[in-house]
Amino acid sequence: MSGGMRMIEEVEDGICLCVHCLSEVVRKDAIVEEAAGGPKVFCCRGCLEIYRVIQGEGLGDFYTRRRHWQPGPPEIARADLSLFSEVVREVGDEMEVDLLIAGIRCASCVWLIERALSGLGGVVSARVNYATHRARIRWRSGKTSLEEILRRVCSVGYTPKPYTGSLFRDDLNQERRDLLVRFGTAVFFSMQLMLYTVALYAGYFQGMAPLYKTAFQFISWGLATPVLFYSGYPFMRNSLRGLRQGVFSMDILIFLGSFSAYTYSAVAVLTDGEVYFDTASMIITLVLLGRLLEAGARYRAGEAVAALMTLQPKEARLLKKAGDPAPRSAGIATLPVQELEPGDLISVVPGGKIPLDGVVVEGVSEVDESMLTGESSPAVKQAGSEVFAGTLNLNGRLVVEVKRTGEGTVLSQIVKAVEDAQARKAPIQAVADRVVGWFVPAVLSVAVMTFLSRLLLSSDPTALTPALMNAVSVLVVACPCALGLATPLAILSGSAVASRRGLLVRGGDVYEMASKVDCIVFDKTGTLTEGRPVVTDVVVTADGWTTERLLGYAASVEACSEHSISRAIITAYKGRLLAVGRFRAFPGRGVEGIIGNELVLVGNRDFLLMRGTVFNGAQPLYEQLVAGGKTVVAVAVDGKLCGFIALVDALREGVRELVGTLGDMGMRVMMVTGDNPSAAERIAEEAGIVEVTAGVTPFGKAEIIRNLKAAGSVVAMVGDGINDAPALTEAHVGVAAGRAADVALGSADAVIMNGRPGPVADLLNLSGRILSVVKQNLFWAFSYNIVAVPLAASGFLHPVMSAVLMALSSLMVVGNSLRLARL
Amino acid sequence: MEMWSIFFLIAVVSCLSAAAWFVFLWAVGNGQFEDPEGPKYRMLEDDLPDDGNPPGATGDDRP
Repeated sequence: MSGGMRMIEEVEDGICLCVHCLSEVVRKDAIVEEAAGGPKVFCCRGCLEIYRVIQGEGLGDFYTRRRHWQPGPPEIARADLSLFSEVVREVGDEMEVDLLIAGIRCASCVWLIERALSGLGGVVSARVNYATHRARIRWRSGKTSLEEILRRVCSVGYTPKPYTGSLFRDDLNQERRDLLVRFGTAVFFSMQLMLYTVALYAGYFQGMAPLYKTAFQFISWGLATPVLFYSGYPFMRNSLRGLRQGVFSMDILIFLGSFSAYTYSAVAVLTDGEVYFDTASMIITLVLLGRLLEAGARYRAGEAVAALMTLQPKEARLLKKAGDPAPRSAGIATLPVQELEPGDLISVVPGGKIPLDGVVVEGVSEVDESMLTGESSPAVKQAGSEVFAGTLNLNGRLVVEVKRTGEGTVLSQIVKAVEDAQARKAPIQAVADRVVGWFVPAVLSVAVMTFLSRLLLSSDPTALTPALMNAVSVLVVACPCALGLATPLAILSGSAVASRRGLLVRGGDVYEMASKVDCIVFDKTGTLTEGRPVVTDVVVTADGWTTERLLGYAASVEACSEHSISRAIITAYKGRLLAVGRFRAFPGRGVEGIIGNELVLVGNRDFLLMRGTVFNGAQPLYEQLVAGGKTVVAVAVDGKLCGFIALVDALREGVRELVGTLGDMGMRVMMVTGDNPSAAERIAEEAGIVEVTAGVTPFGKAEIIRNLKAAGSVVAMVGDGINDAPALTEAHVGVAAGRAADVALGSADAVIMNGRPGPVADLLNLSGRILSVVKQNLFWAFSYNIVAVPLAASGFLHPVMSAVLMALSSLMVVGNSLRLARL
Repeated sequence: MEMWSIFFLIAVVSCLSAAAWFVFLWAVGNGQFEDPEGPKYRMLEDDLPDDGNPPGATGDDRP
């Protein structure tokens, strides 16, 4: 593509590139601006305006430093001030706002926006988060205004939108921050505490001066107190809440274990006994670490959901309200999408996004639905077709009757499904919680019985202290530190391995499910194949034509179109493009244009037949190409068929090997696709897949997976990202092999970063290993308790020894989990 | 003497760790842990040198 673009730019009177947005424009329609370095060409007034602003600011370097820039016109940069009033905050005597900035395509955009804003007097700071496209801008209220700032962002060609995180995400962020501060505090104090604890342990075995001992004990007490009452507060709160509802959770055991060690130690300080403040604070610190790791993973996934939500435009162009008998006399009004109701008629311009789900009433156009359905070629929409929120209208104006709004749209439902999925826990964690349900009361009663039996069976009046000590031993030794770390640590070190192999996995439950998978369903387009067609054959059927000339004619006409087939043909053609006049596109059928004096038609067979082209002897050749699983485009000049161009979506590298490996692992491998059967058969044969279902809709894919599940299989679905969303959600494990990673993560359980399906086998292997490590960890944590609790209860374990044992059991779990990282 | 030095060291250690803790609290409050992704891209997009050209720029490095 890149070679083609440079070449087009050189065309004198054909097609050139807009300096600002790199879109292709027809020379005579272009706007030319005389600039210092010669004439500059723009596709529209908007781009020219933006170019002037950028040059005027001395930020012209933007044009030389940008890389990886995808061409495309800027979004219609316009901001409605009323939408922003709610999100502005006052911070001291300064104002702050969070914006979501649409139109960011590369890191240079971030640079440009930050530069343009910092140049504005009164702006204190402007930071744009590249990954999430979120800007935080702070300004002095007297010096500039929100309006000024929004206008500035618009003036350099980006659309600011109010950043309204969902409640769910705000909660997650809040939780993560809270845990971070509590954990950090616990770490700092526990580290200090360890200094004195080691001295006290040493003193216990080899003796120490009473002054030092008392001093160290008091210092330890002082250090352990904030850990227990600040960092440990969530456990305390949850335990009390749980107790009131009669539920015994892990939190109770953590709370009781740490609190009894703390209370016992506090009493011991005053009565000159041994202290276990370190046990109390280490329990809390280690369990907080586990919780923090979990919260971090959930928060990152939440950012992906926000990216998904930005697909939906915030405004719609209203033609007629539901109740009104006639179209609005005042013409088209722009309204926030929240104000629309089912039954309203809205207009969607070419290049605009469809704001809500609905049915087309009027107009014909092609709509890019890849974000929802995953099919790379645009869908043709005419009266009666359904359209979905967030999809992109490509080339015609549509009048749409709104059917579903708000939470009802397919897009919102996908987002909701993702948020629900994020709240779930690994099932094995649930097993651990259930076991804790009876483990906690059991430990408590053992501790009470130990205390009572010691006290009552002994006739010694001083039996209170040893009885209490034994009871504390039981509580301390039974503390489920190792239990709390068993799952998160194994999953964390497994995730490190996974990300090294280019896999992003969303949660612990994914590994557990993936380890049981026995059936894998692959999507064809974009997953097993490259996802974009490549020209394979150019066949000439008329005398006096060469393949080169045929391709040149086709590419010149197609250069005016945005279709994926057009791009493939332009890429295949290496020569100079010819000037084309009177270009017209017929959605879903083909294109036409005039080269010289000749009318050139490029399109499918039905299109050419309809326009009076005769196929005759070329018919068998056409049939043969189609039977080979190829997409065939015919070219006719002045009504005479000149030849065919055949395109194929090629198989990705390494797919055959992958299918072989999966077969060896005992997996049932299937392929589903929305494509036609002959194309599907060809790819399946090449990849070595036997079971193929072709011609299914995105919802049909989900249906197939539901049937497989009903038959008792554990199913993994591999699709290319946001497409296949229903099937990815339906499958036990949905794997997105997509390029749009941050959005793709939304509907999938796991994402393969490089887009190739290869790491699927790694995911399945790794999951099995992680699960077995989790099981070993849990087994160890429980069996340690089964041995240690009776020992403590019978008085063989001094509390110091139980504290050491408890630490050892945690270390065992840590060590066992780290084994995974060396794979 | 020995006693004095031990308690002196304890005081020093406590001050140091308290300082580290306050730095941590400041960092959380200042949002240092908010965007772990951004800085690596920001590094590539730093300010221009004085001559106004990014190092290595040839004028047309569009892909």
